[in-house]
Amino acid sequence: MEHTFALCREAREAGLTVTHARTIDVFRALRGIDCGSMDDYRLTLRSNLVSSREDEVLFDRVFHAHWRGTDEQESGDYIMARSEMIRGNLDAGRSNEAHRDMLSEAEVFGAEEVQRRANLSLRWDPDAPPLEQVIRELARRLATRPSRRLGPASRGGRVNLRRSIRHNVRHGLELVELARVKPKTRKTRIVMLSDVSGSMDAFNPFLLQLMLGLQQALKSSRTVVFSTRATEITNLLRRRSVHDTLREVADKVRHWSGGTDIGAALGELNRGLLREGSARSTVLIIISDGYDNGDIERIKSELEAARRRIRTLVWINPMYGASTFTVRAAGMKTALPYVDHFLPAFNAAALKTLVRALMKMG
Amino acid sequence: MTNSEVWQHPFTRVEDVSRVFEGQDYVADRPLSLTTKLAFDLGKPVLLEGEAGVGKTEVAKVLATVLDSPLIRLQCYEGLDASSTLYEWNYARQILEIRLAEADPERREHLEKSIFDEAFLFDRPLLRAIRHPGPRPAVLLIDEIDRADEEFEAFLLEILSDFQVTVPELGTFTARQRPVVILTSNRTRELNDALKRRCLYLWIDYPSPDKEREIIRRRVPGISADLAERVARVMHGLREVDFYKRPGVAEALDWSRALLGLELETLVPEVLLETAGVLLKYRDDVARLDKLDLEALLDGRGVERKSAT
Repeated sequence: MEHTFALCREAREAGLTVTHARTIDVFRALRGIDCGSMDDYRLTLRSNLVSSREDEVLFDRVFHAHWRGTDEQESGDYIMARSEMIRGNLDAGRSNEAHRDMLSEAEVFGAEEVQRRANLSLRWDPDAPPLEQVIRELARRLATRPSRRLGPASRGGRVNLRRSIRHNVRHGLELVELARVKPKTRKTRIVMLSDVSGSMDAFNPFLLQLMLGLQQALKSSRTVVFSTRATEITNLLRRRSVHDTLREVADKVRHWSGGTDIGAALGELNRGLLREGSARSTVLIIISDGYDNGDIERIKSELEAARRRIRTLVWINPMYGASTFTVRAAGMKTALPYVDHFLPAFNAAALKTLVRALMKMG
Repeated sequence: MTNSEVWQHPFTRVEDVSRVFEGQDYVADRPLSLTTKLAFDLGKPVLLEGEAGVGKTEVAKVLATVLDSPLIRLQCYEGLDASSTLYEWNYARQILEIRLAEADPERREHLEKSIFDEAFLFDRPLLRAIRHPGPRPAVLLIDEIDRADEEFEAFLLEILSDFQVTVPELGTFTARQRPVVILTSNRTRELNDALKRRCLYLWIDYPSPDKEREIIRRRVPGISADLAERVARVMHGLREVDFYKRPGVAEALDWSRALLGLELETLVPEVLLETAGVLLKYRDDVARLDKLDLEALLDGRGVERKSAT
């Protein structure tokens, strides 16, 4: 009994949503279960306290840590676990528990990857001209499109026969008032994939401003940063204080200023984020200079796959716009044919141009 | 409204659930059986998440058969309108009735009472689930809830709290026997927090080769134990490959039936390539088969790139 309370508390501390109602349900549930079986006990608690695959794994970890007697909770870099990304070497017959445990191993960085924690506060320019208004316009324009759902409209659109008849029953079925419908507007989903490799360091201040601003303006958008690997930072960008955000992002993204592997990043996106939602409503914005250390061919194949899952591909190149710039980077060259809108943005002025261009494209 | 009788569910122990599932040729593992029992014990809905084709929807069908109750299925999609899941009036008939009443004075007297009669009502899944009289609960399957939008989820949450619906012209319906609710999701987006909290959760993964062999043997009558075993191992190997859409249990069963129907007992690369369409539904995925060492795969040795030849 005490164990159950303790476990609920530890689960809550680990980040699971453990409400009072759920705790009560746990106890109610345990009445009907044979508590002698450790597995049954664990499953009973788990099914009441978790709401996602990642939570299941997290809970199992908490559970095992509890009985092992260790108090330390491994925070570590916890990349969003998707079963398609955890492909271990499953021997035939090994149970699913085995590959769940793979997630508890800490991340291992390759030799060329950067392990130091970047000080992003240094790269943040508080005096930069505010992008807010620009971003707001951008967000407004990008973020809506007509939906299939129809909602009531006072004028325009089509006549809604059903509702008209209902309203007019009181008039003896002479159609006096016509109810109309027109398509509701629906939010577009923006996915921003941002290059934070070493070559992009100089553009960090602008980039950070853009990412923070956009994520806050468009709540349903998703932000992913990549260098040699990709990490989603959507939730971190939702913090109120800029400094908190920068600190947390730096904590989570240990590969800041590393090498560049655009293909791998796109690959992870294709298997994860881009499979969610409908293709018609996703706009992918890639911010990168196009210099790539990875497999160029992979960029091609992943872009092909990505194109099927999105409506529009926008590539923002911070180098573009400088008068001497021509497309030299191999990665950029490979990607260009797949890009719908190739835009410049290395400072606020360029961003305004970008926004105007994006507003036109819709 | 009070519940006239309280139905006792027949599952005293988790093993009872497993046994009953097995009787329907559904191979349920411990977590699933336990979660099902909890759903009955606590009266909470169950949220099943997992890859496509692992048997989430099947669970509901099996439960309905086991309980000898109707399976009421609500298939969600983008733009699903809340009202169309509850009920709709048969406007056409109503207008007809009104027109007829204009001609016939007797009918006209009854019109006001009769025009909003249940005879003119189409009850959609949610209302039907609520109106199910019992004695055993219906099974309400809300399939692919992640395809519906947030507004619908909020609406659903209300229904799942009270199981009560008010039709203005008819009155309020309250469920005499609350249905067993199963929600499935393919994880294409995050669901509403409150909805998630209300449900018991279970992730359904691809089965292990042993379990899959069992499933194949039960669901594909006539297949040899040997072939079932080999198919299971091939499926396991295939799922290690980075396909855009990995084949699920449904595909394994389809493939087994195909092999049986085509009377193919030996699994050689040509067979796999010819029947690839049963397993893989994307052109790129099928093309990728060529790059794999199919001999190794079919031997159950797992998946390796083809060595340069």
